Amino acid sequence: MGDSAYSFSLTTFNRTGKLLQIEYALNAVANGRTSLGICAKDGVVIATDKKLASTLVDTEQVRKVENITDGAGFVYSGVGPDYRVLVRKARKSSQSYYLTYREPQPVSQLVKGTASVMQEYTQSGGVRPFGVSLLVAGTDADGTPRLYQVDPSGAYFGWKATAIGKNYVNAKNFLERRYQEDMELEDAIHTALLTLREGFEGEMTSQNIEVGVVSTTDGVFRRLTPEQIQDYLDEAS
Amino acid sequence: SAMGVAGPNSDLVNFSEYISKNFALYQLSNDGIQLSTAAQANFCRNELAAALRKGPYQVNILLGGYDKKTSSGSLYWMDYLAALTKLKYGAQGYASNFCLSIMDRDYKEGLTQDEAVQIVEKCIQELKVRFLLNQSNFLIKVIDKDGVRVVKFGADPADN
Repeated sequence: MGDSAYSFSLTTFNRTGKLLQIEYALNAVANGRTSLGICAKDGVVIATDKKLASTLVDTEQVRKVENITDGAGFVYSGVGPDYRVLVRKARKSSQSYYLTYREPQPVSQLVKGTASVMQEYTQSGGVRPFGVSLLVAGTDADGTPRLYQVDPSGAYFGWKATAIGKNYVNAKNFLERRYQEDMELEDAIHTALLTLREGFEGEMTSQNIEVGVVSTTDGVFRRLTPEQIQDYLDEAS
Repeated sequence: SAMGVAGPNSDLVNFSEYISKNFALYQLSNDGIQLSTAAQANFCRNELAAALRKGPYQVNILLGGYDKKTSSGSLYWMDYLAALTKLKYGAQGYASNFCLSIMDRDYKEGLTQDEAVQIVEKCIQELKVRFLLNQSNFLIKVIDKDGVRVVKFGADPADN
């Protein structure tokens, strides 16, 4: 990148001190399908709206919730292909950690590493920022469940509950009202589904959403199967 | 945790300082989280292995540490060829020829700290009696939930 004709950064400050490329990237995120996450006292749940362009699309082949390590997973709102790059880089760096330390990488470090990558793309030559915000769910080194959001700028935040993408304002208000400090994972999953349904266009089924869960009992991040999602949906109605 | 390192002083100092500063950096960069003893040992081995085919560190190591997470101590044996194994008891150098058999016989599960130190003292005594070289000054260190501390044994030449 340094020796090409584009060895200058495309993300530059404007007069008022803003980095417009990052602002625009955040716009791309806000146009993306809604994702949300809730951190319970015994686990974390992340979920996303997987509504696709046509009913002919094979939804099973589309993966928005992805494992990074055994104990942590990502979901996103924004530009899908950009997300895939971040998933690949995060998986590689956490395997590299495992090579050195023979231990799984703690979520907080995974987040810092990914945020650092996203920041690089706002200050390097010839590249544009990633058009995604990530929600990262996992258990930290001491077993505490954690939920993080990472933005295109490379800023990251720990959350008790949050939403990103289309309709995130309403979703966050809904979560603010429903969130309780000592919430259990099962309640969190129900609340997540209810929140997702709030802003859902049309009928929400187990085929057009994706849910990922990590529980402190085993510290393993799993995507729920459509059957499991259907069970939760049946309970909710 | 603490490392006992044997080898030429150049590699000894260079390697152990490099490792310990890396651990300090990890703690600083990660909100005070410390690496577990197993992670430390594997990191160490990785560094030895990476240097092995370039410019090896000629150091043999015994790394002992206490993990609050599992409330237990662990001991790792590493040599200059980047071999690594977890042990209940171990020795590096000529000492192993004399001391391993003592430890084989006297070691049992669930030793108290005092019992373990006694076995170490037995090993030191054996070396004083049977080993060719006259090494009068040994330093014993203990690592537990309260950290690393010294339990001295033998005459300190500086006292004479």
